[in-house]
Amino acid sequence: METKIKICWVIALHAEARPLIEAYRMKIISNELIFPVYINYETGHALVISGIGPARSAAAATYLKTLLSIENYSAWINIGIAGFFKEQIGKIYQALKVLNLHNNQAFFPGLRLSNYVEGSPLVTVSKPEFKFASSVLYDMEAAGFCEVAPLFSCNELTFVFKVVSDTPMTKFDNSKKFVKGLLENNMEIISNLLMQIEEVVDEEEKRLRIPEEVKEVMANFHFTESNRHNFEMVYRKWRSTFPDRKFEEVQSPANSAKALINNLEKELLDEVKGWTLT
Amino acid sequence: MDIDVIETIFIEEAIDDHPTTRHILKSLPRAQLIAISRYQEIFNKRHQNFRLQKKNPCLILAKKHENFVLPAPAGFGMNSNLNFYFSHMYNCIYDCRYCFLQGMYSSAHYILFVNYEEFFKSISRTIEKYPDNSLTFFSGYDCDSLAFEKISNFANHTLNFFSDHPSIELELRTKSIVTSPLMKREPVRNCIVAFSLSPKKIANILDKKAPSISQRINALKQLAKAGWSVGLRFDPLIYCADWETMYSELIAEIMHDLNPRSLHSVSYGPLRFPKDMYKKIFTLHPNEKLFSFPMKEKAGIISYGTEIEDLMSKFIKNELNKYISQNKIFRCAV
Repeated sequence: METKIKICWVIALHAEARPLIEAYRMKIISNELIFPVYINYETGHALVISGIGPARSAAAATYLKTLLSIENYSAWINIGIAGFFKEQIGKIYQALKVLNLHNNQAFFPGLRLSNYVEGSPLVTVSKPEFKFASSVLYDMEAAGFCEVAPLFSCNELTFVFKVVSDTPMTKFDNSKKFVKGLLENNMEIISNLLMQIEEVVDEEEKRLRIPEEVKEVMANFHFTESNRHNFEMVYRKWRSTFPDRKFEEVQSPANSAKALINNLEKELLDEVKGWTLT
Repeated sequence: MDIDVIETIFIEEAIDDHPTTRHILKSLPRAQLIAISRYQEIFNKRHQNFRLQKKNPCLILAKKHENFVLPAPAGFGMNSNLNFYFSHMYNCIYDCRYCFLQGMYSSAHYILFVNYEEFFKSISRTIEKYPDNSLTFFSGYDCDSLAFEKISNFANHTLNFFSDHPSIELELRTKSIVTSPLMKREPVRNCIVAFSLSPKKIANILDKKAPSISQRINALKQLAKAGWSVGLRFDPLIYCADWETMYSELIAEIMHDLNPRSLHSVSYGPLRFPKDMYKKIFTLHPNEKLFSFPMKEKAGIISYGTEIEDLMSKFIKNELNKYISQNKIFRCAV
């Protein structure tokens, strides 16, 4: 099933997810899935609720990717609450370094989005943290998420945002209302972050999306794996050289994959003398 | 390109108190600092996107442990000398479309090795090892020699070192117009400031984030007037319609008002990529017209092909011969 999902959310708790589900008008697709999945194809959002812990976060992200065949230019976002060594409760941060305390593995997710959010290192712990000994954020999922999400698109389209829920001065209020409120109060910032992320996603889509013309040709001709790759490459060269040409003109009278590749290559060679760089 | 906008600095714990680290952090007071163990944990990660990272690269301050000085690839400099290079920095603040760095590294973050003193120890050892040879050391193989100088101050240290070794040549290769660190000191006679140049129309399209050709020409003429030896590097030669006129005009513009005696050397080199590097760069820029050209492959190297390469080389050499003596002109064959 082909999707137009561009933003994939991986969130531990339903209370954390609720403001996003509402803001992007996502609907649950079934009550019988391993992880609850919410989607809105119109806004291009999908969301999975993972439960607590890095393993669940990694599993839920993988589940979402597989279930919806998410494209490799989509962004992956883990957002939720975290403990912090200092006030202020409710402030949102971008995690710049995520350290799995269990195995000391470090991740450096995402492009820096400093216009809207401060950055901080984050440590993923296996039990709730109360001491806050280091000047970092503490969560229980991000490291698991960061271990798998870059495999689905890339490290620069993997983002971790955390809202401070408890500090050495302020004990954690685990009511759903409080947790939901923490996210809700940051929706304007989240919306601004998303605008920047969507720009990058669009750019990556332009680079990576297989053009419809290519898909059609591949369905009509037999391509070896090597020819498939060669065709895609030479097509992209041809298309950037002749942005206004109709592809049908080149296809005819080609009756095989090889002949088609040759036609495209010949057209490029014929253009060499007057070659321009734009 | 403004290097003051660096927002995040990752610092290896081992060098967080190194004097160079302290100097650099002073120059970037607003940047956020994050501690790391070794630079490889961020720089060598898989599934990084060089093209996206290039939008907002971080700075990584690290310690280099080995390979401070390496033999330059054959054909990189003039053959009469033994050539070496050193890289105090990986990656560049510019974003030139043909740059091989984007095919070489998976990360676009800037790595700066702050233990400069060990570079100079290693260069000293190399000099001692070859007492009977003419040696040239190239800076700016994996970065631009001057573009980051405002932050790094490395060229300044390097010039101090080579001032004490007047028989050893140093080449700073650059597209930068940051010449003030050089202009405020006496010319170092054994230093060549070599500028990479292309015709204006080509540079406007391909040399993204780099100073314009007019600015570069102004910078090199200022340095030449101040007594510095300058080099001209037409590398890579870019093919397109009307290339003869463009290169001819470029060379004429450079040579106008430039004393040929201030020219140490002029080199030109064809556009070439190892096959795997070309594939990687093409994947990053599949819609870029430069890479749409029907390139040829020979012995694992992707290029315009011998015919175009020879045509361009012959033309450039003839144009250069109008102004510059033959013995200063060489073809870079890397």
